[in-house]
Formats: sequence, C-alpha cells, structure tokens
Amino acid sequence: MFRSAELVTALRSVTRELFERLRDETVDADAAYVVAPASIEEAAAVLAAAADAGIPTTFRGGGNRRQTGAPAAADLIVTTTRLASIIDWRPDDLTVIVGAGLPVDDLESEIAERSQTAVLPETAAGSTIGGVLAAGASGYRRLRYGPTRDRVLQVRMATGYGKVVTGGSPVVKSSTGYGMARLVTGSLGSLGLIGEVTLKLWSRPLAVSTVRVDDAAAAYRRTYRPLAVLETPDGASLYLGGSANQVAAQAVAIGGRASPNLAWPEPITDPVRVEMRVPAACVEEAIRWVQRIGATRWIAQHGVGIVSAGIDALDVAGVGAARAWAESVSGALVVLAGADDRIDPWGTPPPSIEIQRRIKAAFDPAGICNPSILPGRL
Amino acid sequence: MDATARLIELLGVDRVRTEPIDRMVYAKDSGVTAGEPAIVVLPETTAEVAAVVRIAAAFDMPIVARGAGTGLAGGAVACPGALLVVLTRMNQIVMVDEVGRTALVGPGLINLDLSHALVGRNLHFAPDPSSQQASTIGGNAATNAGGPHCLAEGSTVAHVLGVEVVSADGEILMLGGAAPDPPGYDLRGLMVGSEGTLGIVTQLLVRLTENPPQTVTMLIAFDDINDAARTGSDIIGAGLVPAALEMMDHEMIVAIENFVSAGLPVEADAVLLAEVVGHADGVAEEAGVIRSIAVRNRATDVRVASDEDERALLWKGRKSAFGAIAQAAPDYYLNDTVVPRTRFVDVLGEIYAIADRYGIRLMNVFHAGDGNLHPLVSYDASQPGMTDIVVEAAHEMVCVAVAAGGTLSGEHGIGLEKRDLMDQVFTDVDLDAQARISQAFDPARRMNPGKVLPDGARCFDRPSS
Ligand SMILES: Cc1cc2nc3c(=O)[nH]c(=O)nc-3n(C[C@H](O)[C@H](O)[C@H](O)COP(=O)(O)OP(=O)(O)OC[C@H]3O[C@@H](n4cnc5c(N)ncnc54)[C@H](O)[C@@H]3O)c2cc1C
Ligand SMILES: Cc1cc2nc3c(=O)[nH]c(=O)nc-3n(C[C@H](O)[C@H](O)[C@H](O)COP(=O)(O)OP(=O)(O)OC[C@H]3O[C@@H](n4cnc5c(N)ncnc54)[C@H](O)[C@@H]3O)c2cc1C
Repeated sequence: MFRSAELVTALRSVTRELFERLRDETVDADAAYVVAPASIEEAAAVLAAAADAGIPTTFRGGGNRRQTGAPAAADLIVTTTRLASIIDWRPDDLTVIVGAGLPVDDLESEIAERSQTAVLPETAAGSTIGGVLAAGASGYRRLRYGPTRDRVLQVRMATGYGKVVTGGSPVVKSSTGYGMARLVTGSLGSLGLIGEVTLKLWSRPLAVSTVRVDDAAAAYRRTYRPLAVLETPDGASLYLGGSANQVAAQAVAIGGRASPNLAWPEPITDPVRVEMRVPAACVEEAIRWVQRIGATRWIAQHGVGIVSAGIDALDVAGVGAARAWAESVSGALVVLAGADDRIDPWGTPPPSIEIQRRIKAAFDPAGICNPSILPGRL
Repeated sequence: MDATARLIELLGVDRVRTEPIDRMVYAKDSGVTAGEPAIVVLPETTAEVAAVVRIAAAFDMPIVARGAGTGLAGGAVACPGALLVVLTRMNQIVMVDEVGRTALVGPGLINLDLSHALVGRNLHFAPDPSSQQASTIGGNAATNAGGPHCLAEGSTVAHVLGVEVVSADGEILMLGGAAPDPPGYDLRGLMVGSEGTLGIVTQLLVRLTENPPQTVTMLIAFDDINDAARTGSDIIGAGLVPAALEMMDHEMIVAIENFVSAGLPVEADAVLLAEVVGHADGVAEEAGVIRSIAVRNRATDVRVASDEDERALLWKGRKSAFGAIAQAAPDYYLNDTVVPRTRFVDVLGEIYAIADRYGIRLMNVFHAGDGNLHPLVSYDASQPGMTDIVVEAAHEMVCVAVAAGGTLSGEHGIGLEKRDLMDQVFTDVDLDAQARISQAFDPARRMNPGKVLPDGARCFDRPSS
C-alpha cells in the first residue's frame, strides 16, 4: 500500500495535471491526497487513474460516517463538495435531481418552500445526500413513506473501473432494466462514487403532532399510519401527520399529551454506537438486549424494527450475545461506530456473499473503492 | 440418460411435458412474441426447482421461469432449446404474520388469492395489477408489477421484503428478509424486476398493508381529454398523491359500456377515477381538493362513492377494461411507457397523432397519477403484416415518451419486446454495467438468456476478479 510521499509520486506520474487541477486545498487531508471533482466525468477519470495505479480510495460527503464498516485505509479521498447543487427540482412532478454532495438539510429547506420533503433522515445535520444513500440510511418517517431506497429513482455514478454509469429511470415508476439505483443505495461507496441522484418527493403533511404515550406498541396498533413511533429511555411518542382535523382527531383518540410539532429525539453521539435491525415484531426484545449490553441512550423504531443505541464501552461478549440473538431472528446487529479488531462491524456475512463478491469485482475490479468496508470484508 | 429422463426421474412423468401440444400451450405469454420450449416442467418445491436447475446446467440447457404467462413483454417466452420452469404449482400461503404484517408465499400464488385469504384480518397485499386475478406474485416480483394502487403505495418492489431464490448454479439463497436494511448489497432489490434473468424466485416474504379506515372514490367526467390530463397533472402538482388516479378515454369508455354496463358516461371525452384513503377527516379534505381542481379544469360531472357497493360500481368499468378490449377486436397490443407527470398532456397528444398516422385504433386506460401511459391498440392479427405495423407504431409511442424524459416501461418490463429499445434510454456503458450484474448472478448466462439486455450489451472486457 502507498503512503504519502510515494503516493503523491505515483499519482503525479499517472495523471499529474488532472489531480493537481482537482486537488482540494480546503479539506484537511489525513490521507495523502484529497480531490474534489467538479463533474462525474472528472470523478470517473480520477477513479480510472486510481484503479490503474492500485490506489485505495475513499469518498467523503459530510464526513459523518467515516467510522462505519472496517475503516478503509485510503490514500486518496474523493469528496463531493463540488457536486453539491440542486440540478433540477420539478415540484409539479414531485421529483428532484441533486448533486450527491448536497447537504440533506439544504435540500429539505429548499423544497420546504413548496411544502415538499425528500423524507431524508431528520437529524442528520451535515450529512450529504450521497453519504445517506451510500449508507442506505433512512429517516424515522420510513414507517409512513418507506425507506430511502424506495425513493431513489436514478443514480449517476463513477464506477470503480472509471466509467460514468446511469442506473434506474428518471420517472417515479419503472420496470426498465435492473434496479441499479437500488443496488447502489447502501453500497457504502464500494462500487464507485455516487455523483447525481433523482429522488421522488412527497408533500409535507398540512399538520403534524407528537403525542407522548405509555405503551408505544399498543398505541401504534390503534393508529392508522403514523409518521413514526419511537421509544427512548425517556418514553414513547407517536408522530402524526395529515390534515389539521385528522391529526387533532387522531391525537384525541390516542389520548396522550400532544405538541403541534415533530419533536425528534437528539441523535446518539456516544463513541460506541450499535444498531439492531430485526423484524418489527421483535422490537421490544431488541430494546431489552441493548439495555443488557449497557446502552445509555437508545432509540427504538416501532413498526420498522430498528433500535439504535449508544454505549460507553464496547462489551465484546455482550454485543456478541446480542448479535447472536438478532441473527437468530433473521436480523443483524451492526456496530456503527467504535468497532475494533475484536468485533466485526457487520456480523455473519449474508448467504449470498459469493454473488456480492462478484458484484464488487465487476464494479471495482482493482478493489480500490472503500476496500473491505462491506460485510465479509469485501 | 438424457435431460428428459433425468427430469422424469425427479418429477414423475406427469410433471415433465415434451409433447408438441404441451410445448405449444406454453409457447406464448400475453404479448405478441412466441417460442416453443424444449421441455416444460412443473416443480412443486424449492428443492425440486434447485434439482431441475442443476439438471439443466448439466445438459447446458437455457432456463426460462414462467408464472401465469400474463406478461406482456415476452419475458416468459422460451428461447430455442429452453427448459421452461412453470411455477404455478408452488402457490401456497406458508405463513401470515398479522403483527409483523408479512406473509410468506409461493411464487405461483395468484395475486388476488393472497388478498382473498386476508379478508377479515384488516390487511391486504397492495400491488394490484389489472391482471391480479390471473398473474402470480412471483411474476409480479419478476416484472416489478404495478397497478392502480401503486401510485401511493409503490410498485411491487416496495412490497417484497425478501425472496428465496434458486441461483443459476442450483443453489438456494435467501435475499433480504423481515428485518430492515440487511447488511451488504440489496440483492433483493436487484432480483425484483429482473424478469427471470438472475435466478428463479421460489418463495417470497411480502409486506402486507393495513386496510384504510375510510375510502372515497370519485368518477370525474370531462368533455375534453386535455382537461382530464391537466387535472391529473394539477392534482400531483398540488402535492396530493391519491391512492389511485386512473384515466380512460372516450374510446375506452364506449368499449367498456358495450361490454358491461358500468354506468360510465359514454358521452364524456375522458374520465378520471380518483381514490383517496385514510383517516375519515383527512379523506374528506383531500376529496374536496380534487373536486375543486377538477371543476377548475371544466369537469362536467363529479360522482362520489363512499360505500362499498357504490365504490365497486365505479371500479367495475376500470376493471372490465381488458375484457372489453378483448371483445372489441380479436387482438390487442397493450403498450406501457412512463413520462414525467408534467409532460403527460403533450405526450398523450403525440400518441394520438401517431395512431392517426398509422391508421390504427387506439384506446387509452392508464395510471395517470404516476405518468404511466398504456396506449392500447386493438387490431386483427390475421391481417398480414398488421402485427408488425402495430408494434412499429407502439415503439414510436415509446420513443415519444422517452424524448419527453420518460422511460420504456413502467410495469410490464422489457422482456423480448422492448429489449432492442434499451439503447433509447441507456448508453453502451450503462448497458455494460447492467450486463456486469447479470454476469455476477449468472456467469454461464443460463437464466432467461436474450431477455432484458440487448445482444452484445457487454461491450467492455470482463473484469478480472
Ligand atoms: C439519527 C441518525 C444517526 C446516525 N448515526 C450513525 C452512526 O452513528 N454511524 C454511522 O456510521 N452512520 C450513522 N447514520 C447514518 C448517516 O445517515 C450517515 O452516517 C450519513 O448520512 C453520512 O453522510 P455523510 O455525508 O456525512 O457521509 P460520509 O461520512 O462522508 O460518508 C459515509 C460513507 O459513505 C461513503 N460516501 C459518501 N459520499 C459518497 C458518495 N457520493 N458516493 C459513494 N460513497 C459515498 C463514504 O466513503 C463513507 O463510507 C445515522 C443517521 C441518522 C439519521
Ligand atoms: C389483461 C392484462 C392486464 C395487465 N395489467 C397489468 C397491470 O395493471 N400492471 C402490471 O404491472 N402488469 C399488468 N399486466 C402484465 C402482467 O400481468 C404482469 O407482468 C405480471 O406481473 C406477470 O405475472 P405472470 O405470473 O403472468 O408472469 P409471466 O408472464 O409468466 O412471467 C413474466 C416474467 O417474470 C418471470 N418470472 C415469472 N415467475 C418467476 C419466478 N418465480 N422467478 C423468476 N422469474 C419469474 C418470467 O421469466 C418473465 O420474464 C397485465 C397483463 C394482462 C394480460
């Protein structure tokens, strides 16, 4: 593997002019070299050169999720800071095309003007759309609107073999070729750089409400399509959205203390963070498991099956036991942050690992894109 | 032993068909292409499917999966020498989980049979293709089928949580599952919509949707189809996504009324069928907004149904459309293409102009809310050359939609019939990337070869792994 001086020499010898032009002085480089392409074509040229020279490469949006997966020891960082605009917002079609480097909050506040939302994570300040897509992250409102991947209509990317590829279709409904946009969503930058995405939008509900309840599961069963049902150590809440009359009527029917806004819990920032992903019916048991491994803070998504938790220190045996349970109910326990050599961030690789390996090889034949970030250290 | 003998040994003589009559029965789907399989098998278990695939591999036979054969793209049409694997006998409902709102089903289960089995449990399977009385859930997944209620609920892919698959080398794999966001690539999301080219789906874990507490259905009539189309666009532009928003043009209305008396206004140039669902208070407000948008666009009549019987009557016309077409002419070509919802008025106009130019009879019944057009040509295929003319016109219509920023297919898939149009929406490099996916699943190119991707899609060197 290259390190600083050697790397720079290698890069210069490959395409000196290209790299110098794209070099990003604004990012403090903890890797040897940071480039900020201004187009997907430039990103593809960078990746082609990196693939030729065998330079391990990572991608950076907001830089919030650098820990996840096995941290790739990359010598080259490609950032999306110059691919960060709203390219085409079509409010009357409920779609938008954006550069991957656009911060989630910037998009949401822009389209809120016409009362629209891309249903991206609610508390992901500083995250970019490319980062969210790469992570396959969804907001709490997925209970009502489905996960992020269902709204990714088209992706333009620079592949690990240095080509610009468009996958998916630019319209809200399509059976035209393979679900490339679905493949790329959640691929953690292991196939290449996501440059541009077309997203499906929804209207924001006219009225919203957060209702505190005692028994989240019971209240959920009695309420038609809340936006989210969250439980934390501080209690449980139903999040409602709809017309003013509807929300008022639903809040009364639930019978808890209601406030006329969406009061999302503070994101978890502990140094060690884990996420249980289990069938929705197993959420309550998953909560007991994260308590057992010493979670100080946790957020459970009823109806979805995700419990994220922050812990002070990694208890390897405890996390191993919790993971064994999660996998026994066909779920997973992912260590989002704070994983070390003693524990794999993902757990048992999926049975389809061989096909996954072949897909990785097909899109990143030189193995340079976020190496070993995926389950099975792909 | 030859392949047939091996298959008979596995399945018994009754479930291996090689007679000319059998091969003819299975030579077509519901589109316009045809091709006889060499052998037809009817497995009943996943293990049998896996064994069948291994036998086919041993004899180097291509494999084509088939559900009910209602596909309209030629996806289930056999290529030369193919082993056709018919999955209709794998039609069991293995499990329904009312708390987790999921069901585990066989791929051969007929779509509507699942919703029937759920009556009384306040749940349903949301994808509702017009073919739901006949098409299989495996086929729906393979084509990423849509239907009127996929406007708000999403196409089949949003309702398939996991698939059990027999891969090209005969291995049984579970992709996805009941837990959200499984680590690794979303192979489930690739399998859905892959039209049998990445493996055979042998079981599906599907998401069930809560029945809405209240439903209001509206039938809105217009004197001018452009007003109807603009109403559809304006509803979406207002940020409203109704549960369903369907449109039928005059020709279609008349054909339906001649077939069944559904009470459609035969004097109208077009009707919109809109449905809003949800909490009682919210539904009333949304219905009010739709009504005022329609009136602003010169609607001549707005009929509202709020009880089940009235609703059933309003839907009866829409649901009888294909029966009506079958009666109106001996053959029909049902096209499928999507445009951005803002472009839908102009594209519709261009599509009528193409039909006029070719002198063919066009009817339209389609999913207005998501811009999914279904221009439908009724014709007589026994007239020499007629099918070719119709297909040519249909392709021109698709190209008009693509030029407007749309795509080839919204729900029927690519199969054989649109395969050679793929280069209208994808570059060589894009197609090569898709070929890499198919190669990763099926290096020997055994599963439904020649479908979806045009020949020579792989234009770059095979990556060395
Ligand atoms: C409430 C909440 C809490 C969360 N907590 C965590 C957490 O604790 N740990 C965690 O890891 N995630 C967490 N996430 C997921 C979170 O959405 C992502 O961390 C975040 O979106 C990353 O965005 P970013 O722009 O900062 O990406 P980055 O941190 O810059 O990158 C994230 C990953 O994606 C890759 N990537 C970034 N941009 C691209 C691109 N354009 N193309 C290809 N690959 C790219 C990077 O190489 C990296 O592997 C959380 C999300 C929410 C909503
Ligand atoms: C009158 C009529 C109305 C229709 N309306 C609609 C509509 O509203 N919406 C819509 O989306 N479609 C519609 N269709 C098209 C068709 O019904 C759908 O494409 C349906 O999903 C096909 O299901 P099937 O079981 O008939 O599949 P088939 O036609 O048998 O096969 C379709 C494709 O799926 C593959 N396949 C089937 N089963 C499997 C399996 N188990 N594993 C892997 N691959 C498999 C086949 O190889 C083929 O490529 C309509 C068709 C007709 C005739």
